[in-house]
Amino acid sequence: MIDGFLIPKETAVLLVPIATIILGLVIGWFGQRSGFCSIGGIRDYLLFRQTRLLKGYVALIISAFAFYLIFSLLVPAAIPSFLWCLQDGQLLTAIGGAPAVSVAGVIVLMIIGGIFVGLIGTLLGGCPLRQLVMTSEGNLKSLVFVVGMLAGAVIFTALVSPWIIEVFKAIGL
Amino acid sequence: MVANSSDEKKGLDSYLKMPLVGGAVIGFAAALIQALLFAAGGPQAYGFCVACHSRDLINYVYNSLTGSNLFLAPFSANAVAAGTLPVLTIIGVLVGAIAAAALYKEFRVKKGDAKSYLAYGIGGILFMIFALCMGACPYRLALRIGYGDLVAVFGLIAIIIGIFIGIKIALKRMEA
Repeated sequence: MIDGFLIPKETAVLLVPIATIILGLVIGWFGQRSGFCSIGGIRDYLLFRQTRLLKGYVALIISAFAFYLIFSLLVPAAIPSFLWCLQDGQLLTAIGGAPAVSVAGVIVLMIIGGIFVGLIGTLLGGCPLRQLVMTSEGNLKSLVFVVGMLAGAVIFTALVSPWIIEVFKAIGL
Repeated sequence: MVANSSDEKKGLDSYLKMPLVGGAVIGFAAALIQALLFAAGGPQAYGFCVACHSRDLINYVYNSLTGSNLFLAPFSANAVAAGTLPVLTIIGVLVGAIAAAALYKEFRVKKGDAKSYLAYGIGGILFMIFALCMGACPYRLALRIGYGDLVAVFGLIAIIIGIFIGIKIALKRMEA
């Protein structure tokens, strides 16, 4: 234990690519076998009252909560501010929100972003994980979607994000 | 013996085919990654995110090619600063799914027409822009809710509204 961490920073940074590629391999395998899809789960429930995929997404939230809780007891330094909403007497503060944007601004972004994420995901047949898995299954439309996602990430970081901060500053969010 | 081992394989695969199991495993793995590697950098609830992890990877590639300095989350930025690579989750997912599809003979090339490629390309760009507005894809959103971030609940409600609108549009199109 160094500074309360299981692995010191110098080693941890070296493990980032290895750990995440292993995580990805496991999730990719699961995703292919189960057809896992977050947006598909909610869609199937709203359309057909089918819960097969929805159970997966609910299990993800519960499992994340349970294991963050367990690890926050075992390695408190690595799970700081667990139960985020109970920190500092502020019910609404966002994890990893841009420091230039207020909490109200983050909520506005959540609502606008969420509606379009749900809408686009439904019209084009799946959440981003499903698109990755369908790409691996040979679906060329999903491949184009994934390439679009990568382009969208660069466009967002370089152009959209600074623009949002400007606009929010101007309207006081 | 041979029959036995193939039964076992089938038994394991029948569990892997349950989204319930997959969801539980993703939640566990994401929390484990943070418990082990949080010293590498934040933010919290960053163990798995298709949108953010794609962003870190492509911005790293873009920065390397053009010498620019686009944003990476500290978790990736610190790894790059130490001379290694950013998060490679997305490559892992693609390779893991290809391996599973190949093993179970479910790999099949599916083509679309020019119009569908255009729709998927533009859809992908817009999807990523809106996901990064939220600071999360539906997966990191789930992790954030599990972490106790109430703001993320607004995102989930908005996604449900978006899906509802999407279903209405799709049903209307089918009628037409």
